[in-house]
Amino acid sequence: MNQMSSVPLHPPPVPEEVSFSGARGEFRQLVARGAGLELLTFGFYRFWLATDIRRHLWSNTLIGGNAAEYTGRGKELLFGFLFAIAIIMPIYLAYFLVGVEVERFKAFASTPLFLFFYLFGQFAIYRARRYRLTRTVWCGVRFWMSGSGLAYAGRAALWGVLMALTLGLILPWREAALERYKMRHSYYGDLPGRFEGTGWAFFKRGWWLWLLAAAPLLTLMLLPMVQFIPRLAPMAKTITAISSIVALLILLMIPFIYGLFKAVEWRWWLSGIRFGDVRFESSLVNGALVGLYWKVIGWFLLITMLFSGYLFGCAALLAGINHTPVAKLFTPANLQGSIPMLVAAVIGYLAFILTLNVVMRVYLLRDVWARVIASTTVYRLEAAANVAAEGELANALGEGFADGLDVAGF
Amino acid sequence: MDGDSGPENIAAPPAPVNPAIYFDGTSSRRHVVTLAFNDALAINAGDHTLATWSYADIRRADGPTGLLRLACLTAPALARLEIRDAAVAAELTACCSKLDTNLPGQRGVAAIVGWSLAAAISIVGVVWFGVPLAADRLAPLVPPALERRLGDVAEGQLKIIFGNNICTAAPGRAAFNKLVDEIREAAGMDTSIQTAVLSTAIPNAFALPGGKVYLFNGLLAKAENADEIAGVLAHELGHLKHRDNTRNLIYNGGTSFLIGLLFGDVTGSGALIFASRSLVTASYTREAEQNADTFSIEVMHRLGRSPKAMGELLFRVTGKEVDKPLSVLSNHPLTEDRLKRMSDEDRPPSGPPLLTPEEWTSLKAICTPRPSAPQAK
Repeated sequence: MNQMSSVPLHPPPVPEEVSFSGARGEFRQLVARGAGLELLTFGFYRFWLATDIRRHLWSNTLIGGNAAEYTGRGKELLFGFLFAIAIIMPIYLAYFLVGVEVERFKAFASTPLFLFFYLFGQFAIYRARRYRLTRTVWCGVRFWMSGSGLAYAGRAALWGVLMALTLGLILPWREAALERYKMRHSYYGDLPGRFEGTGWAFFKRGWWLWLLAAAPLLTLMLLPMVQFIPRLAPMAKTITAISSIVALLILLMIPFIYGLFKAVEWRWWLSGIRFGDVRFESSLVNGALVGLYWKVIGWFLLITMLFSGYLFGCAALLAGINHTPVAKLFTPANLQGSIPMLVAAVIGYLAFILTLNVVMRVYLLRDVWARVIASTTVYRLEAAANVAAEGELANALGEGFADGLDVAGF
Repeated sequence: MDGDSGPENIAAPPAPVNPAIYFDGTSSRRHVVTLAFNDALAINAGDHTLATWSYADIRRADGPTGLLRLACLTAPALARLEIRDAAVAAELTACCSKLDTNLPGQRGVAAIVGWSLAAAISIVGVVWFGVPLAADRLAPLVPPALERRLGDVAEGQLKIIFGNNICTAAPGRAAFNKLVDEIREAAGMDTSIQTAVLSTAIPNAFALPGGKVYLFNGLLAKAENADEIAGVLAHELGHLKHRDNTRNLIYNGGTSFLIGLLFGDVTGSGALIFASRSLVTASYTREAEQNADTFSIEVMHRLGRSPKAMGELLFRVTGKEVDKPLSVLSNHPLTEDRLKRMSDEDRPPSGPPLLTPEEWTSLKAICTPRPSAPQAK
């Protein structure tokens, strides 16, 4: 049987293409309509918008010529959210009562209780990933995930402690360990996944980014202390000037550092993924994503300017109607009671955040995705050519928790 | 068995009629198939039929641009048929009448919008009517022990923020106790109330849950007579009597939670949530303040003293407030409105002064320890 299938076409592993076929205009339309509906529905449309975005991204992602598919539905996310709220509510109440008891013992002693929510958030991230993975289908077979969200949360919390102790320097090893746990419990049909990226490899690629981020921050923290050295006291003014320059520099560097970091992280992550013999490789260059972040910042500034112009125009127009001199236009007494001005401001603000949401989703979701996918190749895909379907669908409770706790993860 | 062509057969030179790709949903195996449009759609590999899909059961699945991807209700859930050829796709689409019935269409979106509006209206209704009602009904049910615990917590934080300097000058303490006792009796409240003057320059006074009232020395410094302080203390006792702290706690918890439900992850919605919350909460606390003022006015009448004094003290502290922006967001009624209300209630004094001039002088000096008795216990 299957004589033909078992004959290898080429002896060495053949690289196959991973590509993205989604049209940018189509996605823009999708998120613009979605953002409008989100406002119209007081945010409830978010479950359907998230689903539509994933459907678009998944079904336009082709691995070896076969497109993936997202089979999740908005209604599942809504129900997951409602169940999660029902569970979170008593937890918040218990949190409050425990907080009262601890605070009685010592004021502000309840602050560490937020750690509990960190754990809960990590649990939610794991469970949300499981939901998404079980809704991911390729060639008629779904991905799925086993493992325990609690075990994952425990690991994440321990690594979190180390992160704090090492000022984030241990991040590569944290990500490698957590990713190993996630991928060890991920499957495509009966093909088990694993993660072969190492913390050291990530560290080698990204340590200079840590320096770039940490050095100015440390300088900023240490500089004011110099004033306490008596000999340097007269230089206080110079030090303040240096501090503000360093702060400005950090602000300008953040998009660069973050964009570089994300590119390094994506490349390392993709290149470490294995499903059986199937191996991915990414050739994403370090600077591939920086431009996207700057474009978002540019758009943000432009939209902010338009919004301010709009507010000023509205105020001037209203003043013209009421015959108020321009000088008096922005006195509190004039603005306070003006209901039309308030209404105009609210409408303007809604348009402002609507546009901002569209811009962020187009650049930071779709464009990042498209660039990352385009940089990827897959090897030995034939190992996944005859995989038996397996795995159960997971519920959307984790997504609900992640929504309720405002955490996001991949 | 030759017909079971694997992926490598795509490149086979003579393209068969209606070439399509079929995945049976039980394995990831890619079958190159031909389609036969019979009574039902027959999916054939060579002369071997892999599956027969009834047209009415065929549904559209998500696929990339230029690819028609189909699923079938009666087949395994993940079985997929993929057609690239536009002519074949059109022919098949024409046969399947219910192709798009399970995709959310216009009507689905309208339903989402409708239900969301209903949910939003219900949440706003609950925030506006339900939560205040729940706060009023639940506050008396909160056990005093829990209230005292809340008070202890607030006290601990208060003392960290404002310093833990309770003023203890003995004559001042005596005058203060006398004043408090007079007001307390007129207000009809028991002796469980604890009061103290805290040495901080901020002109304010606090009532904490569980029956603690703190007067800040800063307010005492601005006061010109005992009636002014008496009015403020009566106002704070009013908060205790109405259990405003507990009601506020329940109210704030409820409204934050409900308003947070709306606008989940819309970037920039934080400002919207904050604004709408401030707006509702402010009107609620304004009402509580007004009720405490009413209580203060009644107590002062009962003591035969003028309620106007408190209004004058407040006005001295805050100045005119109407020019400040956004009074809708203020959690107190405007000081000038409070002053006017208390002035309207002004009556010539019918009772004895609450403190003698000597007692008033020592109360004002409660936070200055007498040099003759340094650190006296």
